Order: sequence, then structure tokens, then C-alpha cells
Amino acid sequence: MTVAVELFTEIISAVRGLVAGTSGRRSWTAGKDLSWPRGGKRNIVLKEDMGLELGSPLKESVSCLLWTHDINSIEDGIITLVGPDFPECMGQSLPFGKVVLVGVEGFTQDNAYDRHRELDFLRYSIDLKGFMMRSVSQYMREWCRISVEAVRQGFSVRILGSALINLFHETPFVKRVEVICLTSSPGDVVRLREITSPAERIIAAMNKMAGEFDYDCTSCDYRDVCDESDALRGMRDRLVERQKGVDIG
Amino acid sequence: MADTKIVAVCGKGGVGKTSISALMVRKLSESHLLKILAIDADPAVGLALSLGVPVRKTVDDIRKRLIAKIQKGDAAGNRETLELLDYEVFDALEERDGYALLAIGRPEDEGCFCRVNNLLKDIIADLAHKFDIVLIDGEAGIEQINRRVMKTVDHLVLVSDTSAKGIGVANAIAMVAKDKKAVDYKSVGLVLNRVRSETEARDIGARTNLEIYGWLSDDEAVRDLDFRGVPLSSIPGTSPNMVTISDILKKMSLVA
Repeated sequence: MTVAVELFTEIISAVRGLVAGTSGRRSWTAGKDLSWPRGGKRNIVLKEDMGLELGSPLKESVSCLLWTHDINSIEDGIITLVGPDFPECMGQSLPFGKVVLVGVEGFTQDNAYDRHRELDFLRYSIDLKGFMMRSVSQYMREWCRISVEAVRQGFSVRILGSALINLFHETPFVKRVEVICLTSSPGDVVRLREITSPAERIIAAMNKMAGEFDYDCTSCDYRDVCDESDALRGMRDRLVERQKGVDIG
Repeated sequence: MADTKIVAVCGKGGVGKTSISALMVRKLSESHLLKILAIDADPAVGLALSLGVPVRKTVDDIRKRLIAKIQKGDAAGNRETLELLDYEVFDALEERDGYALLAIGRPEDEGCFCRVNNLLKDIIADLAHKFDIVLIDGEAGIEQINRRVMKTVDHLVLVSDTSAKGIGVANAIAMVAKDKKAVDYKSVGLVLNRVRSETEARDIGARTNLEIYGWLSDDEAVRDLDFRGVPLSSIPGTSPNMVTISDILKKMSLVA
């Protein structure tokens, strides 16, 4: 029996609650026609060319991908920013929070992990001139640099968000995409991290499951995560069934 | 956009290759028009010291931390490991006026972690190709450049003092590079250090088949900076050795 997997519903609600409680937030619609030159293979931003840094290893940073089958809860094509926009911050190093909310279809116990990874790695396909990103999905950190030239030419949250939204929409099982960015304060980014940290554990549990040969839950560090999630336990059970199938031949 | 040019500087220990590498970085970074990456592949991080750059984190520190995680059973998939290493290596870059420096650190100790070593090499190669010029200050041998940094370089610069041993090691490195294909290179040449006269340089030239890119004498400015413990990167551009370095780099078409 195919069961749709939901893992992030509560986290998405909590993120929405956090954003709703902030002041001075702005929203834009993603532009399909918003063009920005490609960076190419030498797209590196060193300090001497840097106009703005976001979420550096010395600053608070969180980057999170959350998906749901409840596609009506996702405001498709909307980019929300809490805090100053990139062109307003020339010369600064800011904390950075980014959440991509995706309305999906067809995530089952069999494919949810692979599809999550597929979506998570999409960000590496973003190729925008003067924008450089390094990230560690295991720690949900994202470190971005924007060149002086790009900031001067108006590289903004809307341009970055539009590029992400347009890219996600190229994936067939993605129905709706929304992007939320926080540049307001270290405190806001810390709160976002607290809210999204269960996702880090859920993803770590999925990673562990996918890499395991022995599904002995008694000794697993992520047992508490699975204990609270029917969906994760369902995914685990399917993996066990598949393993048995392989063993039997 | 021109391809990345990669220069590897090698030679016997104590002949001054790190000082020469530092002077090359100093000259290359002068224009601020090119992106320069200096890779300190000497375990003693001599190039970083010569440039006056404190090293916070080496590639080997990153490697050791990851291996400790793997040994703890906290391993992730290849893609996750790759992105973690990519993040950490970029964080290990020391960015200075006109150049960035990456220190490799101590060679790997016991145990085979080919997957980690290979991922790190891929990341260094990928990062290097985002720069215009990469200068690698190596250990005495050439093999470790292949093993720890990259297999293909454009210019192999061998450094020697006037001693027969120094020249012998330079010849041996060139032989290993060519015959044993330790490193693929497009050009190879010799830079002589601590030469007393042009006659001495010519005499040495007659004892080797290597092309001599240039020779440096004992430079008062270098000696004075060394004596005071001041980084060589602060040497005046008009010092005789800086003029020679500039000519050597022109010969390799790295500066105009």
C-alpha cells in the first residue's frame, strides 16, 4: 500500500508563526522574467570583491527545506523577507535564515528520502553571477557571498528567491514553492534554528536509515525521532521489507 | 576567460623555495586584477609564515575531523560529505590583499581513508580552477604534490642553491616528474638561489639540462626582513630579487 509521507507539518506551522510575529516583513512575487547573468565556472567571491556576506561561519545561519502534500498551505511563488534586503546592506556581514517551503505530490515511504535529497541538492544548480554559496545540509547552514558588483547592480532577495522558485518548479513532483528569508537579527535566526531543528534530526534519521544495513532500533541515536513520527517508522518498515526481499532474492 | 595557470615550486629542503614562492605570490598579487591562490603544501606551513599569514585551519585538520566522525560511525553519504568538505575547505582559505592561501598541513598518518583523500583532492582541484593563478609551494619531493594536491600543473619550478646536492635534487625531481609521470606539466625550469655572480649561474647552467628561468643573489632586503622576522610579502617591489622574480614570472607569461 502506498502511503503519502508527511514529516514537516508542525515545523511549517511554527515557521509561519515566527514570520507572522515579526515586524517589517516584505513579500514579492517571483518573477519568471527576472533575468540575472550566469556566473560560470569562475564564480567565486573573495573578500576583496565581496559586497555582502550572509550566514558566514562566524554568524548565525540556518537553511531548511520543508515539503508537504498540503499544497494549499504553500503560497506559490511568494518570496518573504524579514529584515533588510541585500542592496540595503553593502559592506555588511549578516546572519541568514532561509526556508524553502515546497508543496509536493507523491512522496511515499519508498521514495521520500530520494526525493528529499533531489530537492535539497537543487540549490547547487543556482548559478547567478556574483552570488556564491557554500552549505552543509547536515548542519542546515548556508554561507553566501554577494559581490560588490552584484549588490550595486541590484541583486536582491527577490532575484535569489525567484531563481530558486523557478528551479524547483522544473521538478515534476513539485507543485508549489515559497521562499522565506531572514536577515533581521541573530536572535531571529536563532529562533528559526530552534523551530527548524527537529527537521535536522528527521533528515539525519532518514540519512541513517538509508545508509544502514542493520535496522536495530534499540541502539539507534535517532530512536526518539522515529518514536514520534509514524511516517519515519513507515519508511523504516518499507526499507526492512525491501531488505528482506533482497535477502530472499 | 583564460584557463587557470598552475605553478608548482619544488626543490631540496633549505634551498629557499618557500622564500621564492612568497616573493612570487607578492608579485602576482600586486595587480589585484587576477585571483591568486597560494597553496602551502609544506607540513611546516612555511609559506604562510613567509607571507605573515596565521593559519587557523589546514586541510589536514579538516580531514582528521571527518575521519574521526567516520570512525565514530557518524558517516554521511558521498554528496553530504562532499558539501561538508567544500564548506570547510572554503572556510580554511586565508584571504589577504590580492590573494588567498590554503594550507595543506601535515601528511596523513596511519590508516587508509582513500575516499576522504580523494574527495579532498577533488575539492582542492575544483576550488583551484576558480582562480586565475595557483601557486603550490611543495615539499622536497614531487610525489606529494600529486598525492595531496593535484596531478597536473602548468609550470614546474625547481629551486636550487648553488650546491651540487641542490642541483642534483632538482635534476632528480625533473626526472621523476618526466619519466615516472609523477606530475603532468607543460614546462619545467630551474630558479637558482643565493648565486654570487652571473659566471656562477652560467657554470651551473652548463651542468644541467634544465632551462634556467632566472637566478637570485643574496638580497639585502630579503636578509633584513628575515633577520627582523618580518614577512617577505612586505619586501619593496624595487628590491633586486623582486625584479628577478618579476622577470621569471614574465618568462612563464604569468605577468605582463
